[in-house]
Amino acid sequence: MRRVTERGVVGTYGHAMYGRVLGMAVLGVGGYPVTVEAFVGRGLPALTVTGLPGAAVQDARERIRPAVEHAGLEWPLRRVVVNLAPANLRKEGAGLDLPIATSVLAATKQVPEEPLRGVVLVGELSLRGEVLSTPGVLSVAIAAVQAGHTTVVVPEANAVEAAQVDGIRVVAVASLEQLVGFLRGRWSPPEIDADPGGGWSPPEADLADVRGQEQARRALEVAAAGGHNLLLVGSPGAGKTMLARRLASILPELTRAEALEASQLHSVAGLLAGRGVLRQRPFRAPHHTISTAGLLGGGSTQLRPGEASLAHRGVLFLDELTEFRRDAIEALRQPLEDGRVVVTRAGGSVTFPARFTLVAAANPCPCGFRDDPVRSCDCRDDHLARYRAKLSGPLLDRIDLRLGVPRLTKHELLGAAEGERSEVVRARVLAARDRQLHRYAHTGWTSNAHVPGALARREASLTTAGERFLGEAVERSALSGRGFDRVLKVARTIADLDGAERADVEHVAEALSYREALEPEGRSARAS
Amino acid sequence: MPVEDPPVDETRPTGFPSGFGRGSREADALLVLRCLLGITPRTLHDLIWREGSAVASLAAIGGGAAGSDNDRAFVTDATPAGIRECLQAADARFAAPGDQEYWPALLRLEDPPVGVFLRGRRLSLEHRRVAIVGSRRPSTAGVEVARALARGCAAAGLVVTSGGALGIDARAHEGALDAGGSTVAVLGSGIDQEYPATNRRLLREIVARGTLVSEYPPGVPAEPFRFPARNRVIAGLSIGVVIVEGVARSGTRSTADFASQVGIDVFGVPGPITGPLSEAPNALIRDGARLIRGIEDLLHDLGIEAPQSAASPEGLPADQRLALEALAQPMLPDAVARATGLSMPDTLSALVHLELRGLVLGSGGRYRRAFDGSPVDADPASAAGATGSGRRPSG
Repeated sequence: MRRVTERGVVGTYGHAMYGRVLGMAVLGVGGYPVTVEAFVGRGLPALTVTGLPGAAVQDARERIRPAVEHAGLEWPLRRVVVNLAPANLRKEGAGLDLPIATSVLAATKQVPEEPLRGVVLVGELSLRGEVLSTPGVLSVAIAAVQAGHTTVVVPEANAVEAAQVDGIRVVAVASLEQLVGFLRGRWSPPEIDADPGGGWSPPEADLADVRGQEQARRALEVAAAGGHNLLLVGSPGAGKTMLARRLASILPELTRAEALEASQLHSVAGLLAGRGVLRQRPFRAPHHTISTAGLLGGGSTQLRPGEASLAHRGVLFLDELTEFRRDAIEALRQPLEDGRVVVTRAGGSVTFPARFTLVAAANPCPCGFRDDPVRSCDCRDDHLARYRAKLSGPLLDRIDLRLGVPRLTKHELLGAAEGERSEVVRARVLAARDRQLHRYAHTGWTSNAHVPGALARREASLTTAGERFLGEAVERSALSGRGFDRVLKVARTIADLDGAERADVEHVAEALSYREALEPEGRSARAS
Repeated sequence: MPVEDPPVDETRPTGFPSGFGRGSREADALLVLRCLLGITPRTLHDLIWREGSAVASLAAIGGGAAGSDNDRAFVTDATPAGIRECLQAADARFAAPGDQEYWPALLRLEDPPVGVFLRGRRLSLEHRRVAIVGSRRPSTAGVEVARALARGCAAAGLVVTSGGALGIDARAHEGALDAGGSTVAVLGSGIDQEYPATNRRLLREIVARGTLVSEYPPGVPAEPFRFPARNRVIAGLSIGVVIVEGVARSGTRSTADFASQVGIDVFGVPGPITGPLSEAPNALIRDGARLIRGIEDLLHDLGIEAPQSAASPEGLPADQRLALEALAQPMLPDAVARATGLSMPDTLSALVHLELRGLVLGSGGRYRRAFDGSPVDADPASAAGATGSGRRPSG
C-alpha cells in the first residue's frame, strides 16, 4: 500500500480523498442519523472535527489515531477534516468514535466503500482499537430501522440489546480490526443470541415474603390494579421498603412494547450493558440526597434520563420522602401528571417518558415512633406540625392511597398468617385492569388513577347507598374536593377488584381506610 | 438586682389590706405596680402589707426599697395614662382585686396577683371553671384524653382553664371550643403575646370565644421563668384541676401544688407506672388527688350532673359490632379480621364505618376504641352484646 522513495514515505493517496459513513447520535432517548464525512488533504498532520461536536466527540480526535494504528492500519499523516452532518445539532457521546475512524479509513481506501452502504456504525474506541460498550445502542438500532438502513454495527457488549430490534442485521464487533475484516469480507460476525438467558429471569421478591401487614398488602394490590400512587407512613423497621419492592411483582408483566420503551431509557443511561432487554418492571429507589436533575433527568452536556424515567413502566420508590429536596419533589408533578419529563436546555428540549407508580415512604413524626406500641414518641407538637406540613402539598395530592404501616410487635408477627403469593394477587390485578381497559376504551385512558375527576365521578357509578355513605363521610371528616375524587377513584378500583359493576358502600368504606391522617395533630385530624 | 424572698412565714397575711386599690389614685398606682417586672409577687405582696397601700408601695419602690433599677426608672417615667393607652392598643383591660373580673379565689393564693390583664370575653363570676393541664409533649392517648375531658366539660356547661402552651394545654382548649364551649387561657407572657407561634390561631380563637388572662402587661416576652407563676393563676381561677400527663418535676406538678393553696380539688388521670408521662398524675393520686377515669368521674366528684352522651354502639350492623367487640386493645386490621372471621376488605369497611361513627380511631396502621370520655368499665361491647344477637365469643 505504500512505497518508500528518497523523499520519504508517500502513501497511495497523494491527492485529496473523501470518505463517508453513517453514524448515530443519541439525543434524549432517541437516536438520530449523523452523516460522518472525512476529508484527507494537504497540510500538517491534524484531525479537525466540525459540525458541533460535543466534548466527548472532541476527545475522539486523540483516541482515534492510536486505535487505528493499533489495529495495524495506517493513519494518514496529512490534514484530516471530519464533518458531522447535520451541523446544527450538537453531537454528544463517544458512540461516534467508530464511524469517525471508519470514515477516515474509507477516505484513505483502507476499507472498501461498497459494503458500508446502508450500514450504521456505533461504538466507542479504546486506544488499543477495542470497541467498547456504548450507551444508547438500543435507541440507535431502533432509529436505524426507522431510517431504512439494513445493518447496524455495534459493540459486542451491546449486541444483545441491538438484537431486540426486528428488521435490521446486527453486526457485533469487539475491535476495529474485526470491523475492517468484516468490511473487507475476511471476517464474518458470529450469530447473536437475542435471548441469552433463555427466557429465564431471576426470581422476583414475592409478596408472600411479607409477614402480617394485611392492610398494606391489600393497598399494594389496589395500587397495582388501579395504577394508584401510594404513601406508606410508618416507623423505621416497619417494612416499608420491603413492601414497596414487591409492588412490581404484582403488576402485569411487561409487554414487548413496554419492555423496549423502558429498556431504551436504561440503554441511553448506560445501564443495560450485557442484558438484552428489561424482563421485569424496573424498581428505582434513589437516595434522598438526589438532585432535581438526577431525579428528572438533565445534565449540562449529555442529557441523561433521571430516576423518574428509569422507573418508566415500573416503580419509583422515594424512601424518607420528607428528606428529599423540596424542588426535586415539586418537579415530580409533571411526570406524575403527564407520564413524561421535558428537559429544556439552550440547545432545545428533550422528552423522556416517565410513567411510573410512585411509592413514597415517610416516618410518622420526626423521631419516627409515633403510635409505636413499644417505643414512645417524644416529638413536640410544633415539631410534629412542621414535619407533617412538609409531607403535605402538591405531591401528596397525587397520591391516592395513604396508609400507616405499623411496626409489628413480636406477638403480632408470630400470629401473622401466611400471605398470598404474588402470582395469585397478580391474577386479580390483571382482571381488574381488564375491566378498566374495557370501561375507558373510548376515552384514551387506561386506569382509574389517571382519569380526570369529572370522568371518574361519572364512571364510578356509585350505588345510591354508596353515594349516601360517601356524602356522610365527606360531612364528618371534612374531605376536600380533591380528597373526594381520590376516594372515588380508589373505590372504583376496589369495585373492579371485586368484579362489581357499581361501587357500593363497602368499596367506598375500604377506600376511606387508605387515608392515614397527615394533618398536624389538631382539630381537623380524622373524623371527630 | 436580685430580689430576696423572705423566709416562709406561716402567719403571713392573706389577701390585701383593706382599701387597697380603691380610689383613682390607688388604681393608678396599682396599674404601675403590676407593670414592674423586677419584683416577685411575693416580695410585692409583703411590701404592700408593710406599706398598707399601692401608692405607698410605689413610693417605697421609687425610693429603692425593692425592685430593680429598671423598676425604679419605670416608676419615675411611666404614667398610668400611658399604660392605659398601651392596653387599649392591645385590646386588653386590667382587673384589680375587688373588680368584677378579678376572681375572688385568687386572693387565697399566698402571693395573689395585684391585678390581671384580660382579653376577649368577660370573665363571669357565675361560670365554673375546671383546669385541664399536662405535658407539653403528651402521648397520643394523652391528647385524646385531654380533648375528650374538655369536650365533656364544655357539654356539662363548665369552662375549661389551661395555659397557652403546646400539648395538653392546647388540646384542652381545642376540645372545649370544638364542643361549642368556652375556655380561659392563662399566659406566661404579656397579654398581647401570641406565644408559642404554633398556637397563634388557637389563641385568636380563644380571644373570640373565650378569655385570655395574664399577669403581664403588653410587650412582655415569653420567658420560661414566668410559667410557674402563671400556674398559680390557673389554679386560682378554677374549681378543680385535672392533671392529664406530666413528668415528675414539671410545671404540671406545680399547678397541683397551687391548687391545694387555693383549696380546690386535684384530679389525676392515671397512667402506666412504666411511662414517664404518668409520673406526675400517679404521684399526685398517691398523695391524695382524686383518680378519674373519664369525664363522668370528674363531673361526679365535682357534683355536676352529666349530660347524656351522644355516641352509642347500639343498633350496629353485625360486622361492625363484631369488629368493635374484637378491639380490646389497639389492633392491626389483620388481627381484627382474624378475630371476627371477616375478610380483609370487609374488616376495613367495618372499621371505617365505626371510625365515622366516632367509636373507633385509626392511627399509624392500628385501630382502637375511641376514648369518649366515659369510664372504661361502661364497656360498649358488652352493651352491644346485650342488645344484639348475643354473638360474643363464649368463655
